[in-house]
Amino acid sequence: MHTQSILTIPALALLGCAATFPPPTQHLADAESAQRSARELGAANQPAAQLHLKLADEQVALAKKEMADGDNRAADFVLARARADSELALALARELNAAVDVKRAVDTSNATANTNAIQGAVK
Amino acid sequence: MKTFRSCSALAVCSMLAACATASAPGELVSARSAYDRAENGQTARLDPADLLTAKETLDRAEKSLSNNADPQETKDIAYTAERRVEIAESRARTMVATQQSDSVTAQMNASQTATVRGTSAALGRANQQLAAQGQALQNSEQARADAEKRAAQAIADLQRIGSVKQEARGMVITLSGSVLFASAKWDLLPDAQVKLGDVAKALTEQDPDSKMVVEGHTDSQGQASFNLDLSQKRADAVRTYLVSRGISSDRITAQGFGLSRPIADNGSAEGRANNRRVEIVVQPSAK
Repeated sequence: MHTQSILTIPALALLGCAATFPPPTQHLADAESAQRSARELGAANQPAAQLHLKLADEQVALAKKEMADGDNRAADFVLARARADSELALALARELNAAVDVKRAVDTSNATANTNAIQGAVK
Repeated sequence: MKTFRSCSALAVCSMLAACATASAPGELVSARSAYDRAENGQTARLDPADLLTAKETLDRAEKSLSNNADPQETKDIAYTAERRVEIAESRARTMVATQQSDSVTAQMNASQTATVRGTSAALGRANQQLAAQGQALQNSEQARADAEKRAAQAIADLQRIGSVKQEARGMVITLSGSVLFASAKWDLLPDAQVKLGDVAKALTEQDPDSKMVVEGHTDSQGQASFNLDLSQKRADAVRTYLVSRGISSDRITAQGFGLSRPIADNGSAEGRANNRRVEIVVQPSAK
């Protein structure tokens, strides 16, 4: 009887935890929002960002499956991964855009300097 | 019961041993490495807030490992931690790029501003030069108009004193000898000096660079040699007076022709009066 109690209590506790972990709907919404932001910034068209966006897609799909299977806790951890990948995709997209801006600024500056030099020579 | 206690003790020992030897999953190792890289790079300086978030996530992964939690959860947290580190690094690089872009743009704008200022200054100088040239042209045109007006006035003045004619040798101003000199004399009469003063003024204003010849002429009365000498002295007298009134001496010469160049019949008193004369021939300057 005593042995049964020792084995039964942790098992019940585990079951209780699993049963009471709420569906991570807010974290799912957060992850999906991060995905949309990354896509809107062009992450799907930039190789480095595209990889993490794809990982996020897969993780969100996995999380939804786990939620459907009642494994909300596992889904919550996977959603944290998905959100992190989406935010990384967003950050990489912004980084690439910033690099493009730098190149554009340098090109414009050089073109302006050349124009000024030519005009100076003409004057 | 004894057997149960022994089993329990064995199980606890096994678990402790398992904890002590539990190795970090690859995700955690990778996350630690990423964090060390970021902490020792520009990210710690440029984006400390995101790096702190990454550190907190990494700490959770370490705690999960030390608590012997579900290995998959440890992996998930470590994976998230590494992504947080990478996000911080990317944001730091974005900051650097943005600063670089802003700097280049600011330099370009400063350069453009300097160029515009330089161009504006050059334009201002050009406008000033143009205005000065316009003013000079206006002044020149005004001066020309004034000169033409003075010349017209001078000719009108000369016509009041004597006759003015344009001939092939130049403008010929003819002054009556009786107005300038007493009979057989070559000293200028006081009234003649006034009139010659007007002539000098008119000639100076009309064309300051013109050359002049003062010619003396007589009628046919008396000896030719006397008349030639008289005409030369009268021409010289007129020349001397004109020079004294400001006409440069190198512009004017004098020559007597005596009776050799009559312009009227010496047979009548009126004709002789016309032949007694001084002519000032003005040859325009070459300009």
